[in-house]
Amino acid sequence: MNSSSLKNSRLWRNRLAYDFKCFFVIIFFLCLLPLLQLSDYTLGILVVAMYFGIVAMAWNFLAGYCGQFSMAPAAFAMLGGYIVGLLDFHAHISLWVSMPLAIVGTALLGLGLGGLVMHLKGPYLSLTTLSFAEISRVIISNSHEYTRGDQGLNVPTLMTDRISYYYFFIVLVVLVGGFIYSLMRSKFGGFLLAIRDDQEGAESRGIDVTRIKLIAFAISCALCGFAGAMYGSFSQLVSPEMGLLQQTGLVISMVVIGGVGSVTGPLIGALIVYLGSEWLRDVGNIQMIVFAIIVIVFARFFRTGLWGLFSQLMQRYLGKSASS
Amino acid sequence: MNQLLKIQDLSKSFGGNQAVDHVSFNISPGKIIGLIGPNGSGKTTVLNMLSGILIPDQGQVFIEGRDITNLKPSKLAKLGVMRMFQMTRVFPRVSAFDNLLIAGYARDLSFEESVEKADALMQELELDHVKFLDAGELSGGQKKLLEFGMCFMRSPKLALLDEPFAAVHPKMREIMVQFISERHRQGHTFLVVSHDMPIVKQLCEECVCMNNGRVIGNGLTKEVLESPEVIEAYLGGHHD
Repeated sequence: MNSSSLKNSRLWRNRLAYDFKCFFVIIFFLCLLPLLQLSDYTLGILVVAMYFGIVAMAWNFLAGYCGQFSMAPAAFAMLGGYIVGLLDFHAHISLWVSMPLAIVGTALLGLGLGGLVMHLKGPYLSLTTLSFAEISRVIISNSHEYTRGDQGLNVPTLMTDRISYYYFFIVLVVLVGGFIYSLMRSKFGGFLLAIRDDQEGAESRGIDVTRIKLIAFAISCALCGFAGAMYGSFSQLVSPEMGLLQQTGLVISMVVIGGVGSVTGPLIGALIVYLGSEWLRDVGNIQMIVFAIIVIVFARFFRTGLWGLFSQLMQRYLGKSASS
Repeated sequence: MNQLLKIQDLSKSFGGNQAVDHVSFNISPGKIIGLIGPNGSGKTTVLNMLSGILIPDQGQVFIEGRDITNLKPSKLAKLGVMRMFQMTRVFPRVSAFDNLLIAGYARDLSFEESVEKADALMQELELDHVKFLDAGELSGGQKKLLEFGMCFMRSPKLALLDEPFAAVHPKMREIMVQFISERHRQGHTFLVVSHDMPIVKQLCEECVCMNNGRVIGNGLTKEVLESPEVIEAYLGGHHD
């Protein structure tokens, strides 16, 4: 049998390819949206939704594909933003230099933190990252002389108008989605799926589980840091609020609602949850209550999220190999 | 004679329970060795120590003269010690074929090599009709066959099989026996834990019998099964 005869099978790489095609359909519609003459305010909301989309994809990369639950995606985004902000504030280093440093810095922090707990099974990663998220936010908030505390730090901007930022963020989402797609298509992606399904079984097949989990965690942290740095540049401000646990809750709800273990799901979830949360802000500050209820309903009845529901429908009515 | 596996004075206790008590035996290359004994005699604990899942309290394990005591399961797998579990350990949320591909990647095969090998194994194990079903959707017997395939994506030096025939349909048992016999003819080495005496007699030239964590019989299968101590401990005094 040659590899081309596997083309229409339910092989993981075919499911992934289908997922990635749908991801591009969403991107296509996002590209067309400005034709509706959206206001700068609406474009700004969409940019923030895409920032959350990147963080959600990064969290899903670790949780959805590898089964490791970090409670610090927002904290790593905050740290990425602060690396850029501090380098500008104290050393006037350009964003083009500080942005890669934010990626490397958050990846190294992830390696250090993950190195402490990745050899353990159970809830230790969640507990450690939860503590780390709160400690790092409190340190930043209280180090007024270096970080200006709760006032936050200014971050240099890259572009002057909203529409440029809008398309810039679409490019970032595509880059991150493409990066995750290519990782998941590789042997490394197969190892992540094996670890997600059965760590002991994966280890017994010859997969160095601790090492692979550590690399996946560092990649996830780096992607969050990258998103945070870019968000800081867009909003021209980073503050400890970026790292609130509430933000992590929002990211997790985006992935659960959109669909765990897919490239498209977290992006759909981010767009729906963030746009919905902006809409609910007008109704009254009840976003978290509404999303908490939706997350419970999805976790109980629709575990595969909207992406899973869509895939099942496609499979049933069109016979496509879509299910993830 | 050159030994493939040498187990020297292996011991393991859990709290006050001495699960394995100074166990020693050797396995020559190309042999199928049965590891038998009543429930709780320490067979699976020995297998867990041989495959790196448990660290022995005492003793050493050598493969081809190399000390492999305390090595991680992934290192042992890379060295060619493959384990099949009593409770199957497949990856349930990806297809059966993907399970084999992942096992191939883990043993450093390329995608193309893995596809070729996985396809041949699927046919040999008669799993061709379910290869694109998620492994979690397979029956218990099919999962066991799939685990066989995962162990043999790249020829192991030693295959450790824990109760491969338990709760399996006779047709699938036949496929397993054929698979093992064929690999044996090619020179592969097996350590098989089983309660299925007819199959042990059919497959294993030699066997080791354990009781209460200790080896009470070691040698040709026929001789071990006829030893009064083994009959008393394992077969409850009746053996035909």
